[in-house]
Amino acid sequence: MNEWQPKITTFLCNWCSYGAADLAGVSRFQYPPYFRIIRVPCSARVSPKFILAALRHGADGVWVSGCHPGDCHYLEGNYYARRKFALLKGLLEHIGIEPGRLNFSWISSAEATKFAETAKGVADEVKALGPAKHFIKTRAEVA
Amino acid sequence: MHEYTEKIRDAAKRLLKEGKVDTFIGFKKGSVPMMNEPALITDPDKADLLHWDSNCGLNLCNYLTKRTDRIGIIANGCTSRNIVTHIIENQIKREQLYIVGIPCTGMIDPRAIKRAVKFKEILDVEEKDGRIIVKGNGLEESFEKRAFLQKNCAICLHRNPVIYDEMVGEKAPEQQEIESFKDVKKIEVMGSDDKWGFFTRMISSCIRCYACRNACPLCYCTTCFVDEAQPQWVGKSIDPTDTMTFHILRAFHCAGRCTDCEACERACPMGINVRQFTKKLNKDALELFSWEAGMSEDQRPPMDVYKTDDYNDFIK
Amino acid sequence: MIKKLFTGSDWVDALKKTGDLYKIFVPVREGDFHNFRPLEQGTKPNFDFYNTRLSPKSIVYPQSERMFESLNDPEAPDKGILKEAAKDYAPRAIVGIRPCDAQAFQIVKRNFDNPEYRDPWWVRRFESTILVGLGCNDPCPTCFCSSVGGGPFHEEYLDVMLYDLGDKFLAKSITEKGEEFLSKVIGGSPADDTALKKAEALGPAAIEKITSTLSSDKLKDKTVTGLFNAPFWDEVAFSCINCGTCTFLCPTCWCFDIQDEVYGKQADRIRNWDTCMSPLFTLEGSGHNPRENKFQRVRQRFMHKLKYYPDKYNNGVQCSGCGRCVRYCPVNIDIRQVAKLMNEY
Repeated sequence: MNEWQPKITTFLCNWCSYGAADLAGVSRFQYPPYFRIIRVPCSARVSPKFILAALRHGADGVWVSGCHPGDCHYLEGNYYARRKFALLKGLLEHIGIEPGRLNFSWISSAEATKFAETAKGVADEVKALGPAKHFIKTRAEVA
Repeated sequence: MHEYTEKIRDAAKRLLKEGKVDTFIGFKKGSVPMMNEPALITDPDKADLLHWDSNCGLNLCNYLTKRTDRIGIIANGCTSRNIVTHIIENQIKREQLYIVGIPCTGMIDPRAIKRAVKFKEILDVEEKDGRIIVKGNGLEESFEKRAFLQKNCAICLHRNPVIYDEMVGEKAPEQQEIESFKDVKKIEVMGSDDKWGFFTRMISSCIRCYACRNACPLCYCTTCFVDEAQPQWVGKSIDPTDTMTFHILRAFHCAGRCTDCEACERACPMGINVRQFTKKLNKDALELFSWEAGMSEDQRPPMDVYKTDDYNDFIK
Repeated sequence: MIKKLFTGSDWVDALKKTGDLYKIFVPVREGDFHNFRPLEQGTKPNFDFYNTRLSPKSIVYPQSERMFESLNDPEAPDKGILKEAAKDYAPRAIVGIRPCDAQAFQIVKRNFDNPEYRDPWWVRRFESTILVGLGCNDPCPTCFCSSVGGGPFHEEYLDVMLYDLGDKFLAKSITEKGEEFLSKVIGGSPADDTALKKAEALGPAAIEKITSTLSSDKLKDKTVTGLFNAPFWDEVAFSCINCGTCTFLCPTCWCFDIQDEVYGKQADRIRNWDTCMSPLFTLEGSGHNPRENKFQRVRQRFMHKLKYYPDKYNNGVQCSGCGRCVRYCPVNIDIRQVAKLMNEY
């Protein structure tokens, strides 16, 4: 199996999206194994620093998922997150990160099917783009 | 614009003598052409050091952060908007400030002037009647100021201060029919690889001096993210990935707060167009959240508020 | 002593031909300014400049440099052993360096090469570097090299002196190292008397053109504490934004910071230029910071350059008069004005 497999850093909010991922697993829904999942209390916890750190470490894609607007466990977190991600996606795509590497979704804890389908969709998008070319920090390029 | 110098000196003298302010912040004439040095005056007799012309491109709001005295300060459009942002973000209190408003017709871009005289050494620059007269050894040329405005001044829509206690002149007429984001749109239509190439080339000469960050009034964190360790988000060397991370993240920290004053580009010793990062964010903030930084003390900044029907199309 | 005459293009061709013997650095136009770059196939040297934006100190002392490396791999037999990173110490020549930048190397040498401490990387690189200086026919209004022990045609710190005669370059060797270099630059013609006379006249004419001075004659007689506690520091420091522009552009500044970076199985110990203007410069592990306030840091820079260094080494100030800090400081803090305040205090 020498075919390249993308690495997609995934941030899932504890209350909704992580629950959906759990339910998808328990229900034996199939989805690609490329996702490295990090559980966060709320989608608002995800700072641009995390997304940049994931890209620097060589992630081929980043996926952040939270509760539907209006259903945030902390009432407003995802509203703030939505604004933050809108601007961040705009900026990163502006500097040359391919659209399709950064993905965002709202998935509630009952939506296991949506989780599996979104996962497949994200995987397809990232696979089509190929391995990450830009913005990877390995050894410092110094004298 | 330089005719305001007398009025600024008078205002400073008056405010300091009457005890309305403890200090007055303005500019004094620089020791090299097209440069002025920010100055703090406490003695009314020293007020004659103050100077104003079309080379006052630095943002004086940078010097207000967390001061505790009563301050008199001169402010044109963009500086006043940064003062409003400072007040909203609790870096200074409105009661501490006495703002002498200046209707600004724009600053000149020293780099554009140097290019126009083909880098012959400039000894003196004078402005008169809308013209810039440049003199050097065997060099005397005159340019129309309007053609040599700083990039942000050429597209400025807010020349007059949005907040002031007194004005030194009549309000300047605002510019009409300005295309604010031409340079951003030019990049937006490029393919991803071209965009990456554009930005990588743009920051390739960055020496991580942090002049852009330090000249910016918005960057007032006591510990900047570049100095954070455990985890260290960005390395300290001039590695290109680290340099790009610094610029992206710094721009993002100014998302929705930047007034496009161009102090960052003016400060950069390598002449990098760092505004290309923040301009994209300003465009998005305007288009997605109808937001322009620093226009009113009553509105909360865009990252601090939300609407239930915010732009959602990019979310699956 | 070798004295040869070259046309502009002959000079560049001759330099290119020394390819395998010396790595040549030449000034190259990059946008609005010049910088020193290695002379390669497609490089277009451009000697029509006052001075480069960044000083050539980075050729001998790179801004970021890997000092040591080690493996972080638990399986590796030499895991965790620090090894010196491989470096290139092959002979190199900086062609077109101005006498002020060359003098700066001597100033920095006192710090990096003295009986107490020797920086192996700096010393080895400097010893393999030949300085081919280009005299300044037209000093800038911000140049004050003649006030600090240098001059627009000062030969003391150079291996070869290049005179720009307008249509030709006259290359004159000064040291043995320079003579050896010039003997390997094949081409040109022996310099005739007219050319020599023209070259000799350039120096005095250039000195006449210098208008800037740095007053430092009375600094030695003042006490450190007197200057340290002077009342003018607050005023001098107000506008400073604590960036690193002056320190990074300055050819005589030498401070650095060492950081370890680990990526995967590779660990590197990297040295980066540091700036005393940064609030973190004196931040101690305990959390205490002796230079917490801006005016303390600004005071430190000028005291170091104009008082501590001359007191310690008895050989002039730590400044070669290149004028970069004066031209490019974002807020126009002028070392000439500060020196005057200190000198007359």
